[in-house]
Amino acid sequence: MRKLIEFRNIVKSFDGQVVLKGVNLNIYGNEFVTLLGPSGCGKTTLLRILGGFLEQDEGTVIFDGQCIDKLPPYKREINTVFQRYALFPHLNVFENIAFGLRIKKMGNDIIAQKVNRMLSLVNLTGYEKRNVTKLSGGQQQRVAIARALVNEPNVLLLDEPLGALDLKLRKEMQRELKRIQQEVGITFIFVTHDQEEALTMSDKIVVMNAGEIEQIGTPLEIYNEPANAYVARFIGESNILDGVMLEDYKVRFDDKNFECVDFGFRTGEPVDVLIRPEDLAVVKPRDGVLRGEVKNVVFKGVHYELMVETKTGTKKTVQMHVVTQHDLVNPQAGEKISANDFYVDLDDLVNKDLTDQDFISIANAQAWDEEDRDRSLTKVTHNIEKKPGMYTITFGTEKGTEVTVNVHVVHPEYVEDARHNIGISALDFFITPDEIRESMAISTDLKTWASAEAWNLQDDSPVEITDVRFDFDPANVTEGTYDITFATQGRVYKVETTSRLEVGDRVGLAFDPEDIHVMHKEVTDV
Amino acid sequence: MKSFVRMSYPYLVWIALFIVAPMFMILLYALTRSGNGTITFKFTLENFSRFFSDPTFLRVLWTSLRIAFLTTVFCILIGYPAALFIANLPEKRQTLMTLLLTLPMWINMLLKTYAWRGILMNFDLESEIKVFIGMVYDFLPYMILQIHTAIAKLDRNLLVASYDLGANKWKTFLKVTLPLSVPGIISGITLVFLPAVSSFVIPKLLGGGNYVLIGNLIETYFLVAGDWNFGSAISLIMALIIILSMYLTRKMDRSTEEA
Amino acid sequence: MERKKSPWHFFSSGYLILVLAFIYLPILYVMVFSFNDSKSMISFAGFSTRWYEEMFENREMLESIWYTVLVALIATGVSTVVGTVAAIGLSKARPLVRSIALEVNNLPVLNPDIVTAISLMLLFLSVKVQRSIVTLTLAHITFCIPYVILSVMPKLRQLDDNVAEAALDLGANPWQALLKVIIPQIYPAILSGALIAFSMSFDDFVISFFTAGVDVQNISMYVYSMKRFNPSVNALSTLIVVAVTLILVLANLIPALKERKNKKEEF
Repeated sequence: MRKLIEFRNIVKSFDGQVVLKGVNLNIYGNEFVTLLGPSGCGKTTLLRILGGFLEQDEGTVIFDGQCIDKLPPYKREINTVFQRYALFPHLNVFENIAFGLRIKKMGNDIIAQKVNRMLSLVNLTGYEKRNVTKLSGGQQQRVAIARALVNEPNVLLLDEPLGALDLKLRKEMQRELKRIQQEVGITFIFVTHDQEEALTMSDKIVVMNAGEIEQIGTPLEIYNEPANAYVARFIGESNILDGVMLEDYKVRFDDKNFECVDFGFRTGEPVDVLIRPEDLAVVKPRDGVLRGEVKNVVFKGVHYELMVETKTGTKKTVQMHVVTQHDLVNPQAGEKISANDFYVDLDDLVNKDLTDQDFISIANAQAWDEEDRDRSLTKVTHNIEKKPGMYTITFGTEKGTEVTVNVHVVHPEYVEDARHNIGISALDFFITPDEIRESMAISTDLKTWASAEAWNLQDDSPVEITDVRFDFDPANVTEGTYDITFATQGRVYKVETTSRLEVGDRVGLAFDPEDIHVMHKEVTDV
Repeated sequence: MKSFVRMSYPYLVWIALFIVAPMFMILLYALTRSGNGTITFKFTLENFSRFFSDPTFLRVLWTSLRIAFLTTVFCILIGYPAALFIANLPEKRQTLMTLLLTLPMWINMLLKTYAWRGILMNFDLESEIKVFIGMVYDFLPYMILQIHTAIAKLDRNLLVASYDLGANKWKTFLKVTLPLSVPGIISGITLVFLPAVSSFVIPKLLGGGNYVLIGNLIETYFLVAGDWNFGSAISLIMALIIILSMYLTRKMDRSTEEA
Repeated sequence: MERKKSPWHFFSSGYLILVLAFIYLPILYVMVFSFNDSKSMISFAGFSTRWYEEMFENREMLESIWYTVLVALIATGVSTVVGTVAAIGLSKARPLVRSIALEVNNLPVLNPDIVTAISLMLLFLSVKVQRSIVTLTLAHITFCIPYVILSVMPKLRQLDDNVAEAALDLGANPWQALLKVIIPQIYPAILSGALIAFSMSFDDFVISFFTAGVDVQNISMYVYSMKRFNPSVNALSTLIVVAVTLILVLANLIPALKERKNKKEEF
């Protein structure tokens, strides 16, 4: 095939921010090429440089053997379909399509002939006189394509042209675009952030990230043999695991050794291991190479998507004391008051400088009058010291209504999980049945009441507590002590299956050596 | 797009020549002694000291500021209720009212002032009152339209929300409408105070020869006395006072927004 | 919401009527007295059109009208073209250049007229240019351009950035893109900018007064310099009021009529 376009080491920055870091790319005749990447990856910038709307800082663009760096857009044999179509609102459908031909001063009869041919190519015959602003998104899209193609360019650039369409129309236009490209037989360069769109339409996909090309290949290559975890994650659903290459055809991950079909890595090289969710088969626990518990089931139409946890996360169990606390009544003032006993972490007491307002909220102290209006708590007195033990705290209102509760100052108890690098802490707590019944989001409230927190042991950044386990019915809870377990996310596999499973089921996971794809670790930018 | 940017070059040359350069001329003349040749400039501040040491000039400045201030205050007092009432009209009548208010603004100010001269001939009034009437007349529509725009822009839901939260009409006006229309008042002030301070046609036509504002002073020094240096200094002083007062009003605006 | 005819309603309508009466008092006054048979501005002596006739015999007045219209037309034409092209250029310029240029552009709008006037006068004097209709016109162009830009700029902002690029992409050079794509989309704003420019030029007194020199005077200068009261001015004012009203009514009606026509065509 003929090499049509060549980008040589294209560098571009905006206000000191480098958007393209030296891109090299060849594009051939009659290809449907997709530039794929998240927003800000530089794909649109590359397209605009080719269109002539931006000038690169460094590098050269060769078009058909000629350097076109200094050529203004109106002298390039390239046409563009813009993001929001950029149709001329003051011209009707016919005149929009005829625009380029009129600029070239073609005869009216030739223009009419060419425009009509285009209208039929994009299935808009009969729409000549329509006002473009009154057309639907899909129809505007077709006009934009016809307007560009009528100039018979060698290359058509399409800048996220389907982004503004709804799902159904988008699918339809994908097929339509592919058909048009095959019919006119020119190169289409298509920019999108939608991986599915790229997979269905392209002959060649260029995956971009942060101003660089990550991989160039056919849809099949990109999907089955992604160059690295970035590409794998961007294209399709994936499970990516940390692993170590033991020797050719042998990789270790999830604490087990597996056979694989990959080779050519260093011995002991840390690698990323990719297993696509559809390659994992759900089997009986004893038949699986991996075993785990179903944590989540989502029905996806044809199949179910399961989250299977093979290793639990870091967890911590605390006790919840459910006690009925009677409101104290102060008949003289016509007020009632209530508060809960509570636990305080010694560390928080020392480091956080807790205020009266903090104590009020931890104890859930409140006062109200006969008409149920809140009264503010203005007096807080306590004998809390900065060492473990039991103390008392008294909350009171302006009118002298008071309640005293116990405060347990305790040593903090973390669970530290060195293997996952995660620490987790939570405290026992007192609560009334009413508060549990009134809770609108019980898991979130339990986390708040128990001051449950998890963090990364290395950099202290917070880690989400994804799992709150308890075995009481929030609607009918009675007095007593209950265990509450807080846990972080463990090792989870995404699995696609057609068999119906419930959350909590124990399952085995099976896969073949060729379902494993081993990739070099991404080189992280410094 | 470089090719488009090039289209603004002639204009950039134009503003450099006819806006920036002339402004520098004022500065240059204000800071130099009269009779300077084309080559040598003698820089001096004596034009300014002359202005500030002569009570006559200071009295003129004071009169200008006073009448401009009074004009602005009266425009707000008369204009605010008018703008509020217009904003409460049904939409079609609002458009009609704004059109009726806009129309006189398109008519030559000299001719309108001339008409007032005819009307005021029927009354025996002090010159200052006549000038004051002429100024309020000339600037009132600007004030009303600015405030009206600000009020009309208000989200009606804010008023509904205020009623919903238990405020009555008067409270709603004080706590919601009034504070949110302050930007309209501010831009109204800009459109009234600024030209009022520098006005010289209205005092001349309505006040007779003996009512002198700072604008008339500038005119005299330029066209009668031919002392461009001192005239430039006066206009520079006036411009600085205007910039200062605009700065203060803007600041006031910002502090009300914060509160 | 039900609108009740409350005392409050009467008060607010009454107030608005008073305000309108104040604003239209001098206008109605000159219109009435333009048909007065006597020279008095106090008593109406009977209907006559003598002041209109006198107006058309007053050479000086007619000349001032001619100069006013001539300068206004030239200034409007030049400032509309320069301002529109400049606004389009600036809209594509780097933000820093654009904001500086727009700040300078605002100076003549924000500055007191008298400051603009003397600055231009000083410019002309210092380069030893005799003040004449030429300097007058240059001055008018200078203060008209900002209004055109202020009117066109917001409309340009609303324009899809890609539309100009699309034109280039389809083979139009920048000037063709300007004429065939950008201007057709923003012409209402250009027209209103031109209208404002025309009225600014037509009504200007202060800047003309300082930049016109002795041989030329426009209507404002003529009225200002009149030694004795001349009722022909009433006749002139009346004609201007009628013209302005007609223009404004048309300017407000045409878009509405067009809209209606467009709607009809669609069905």
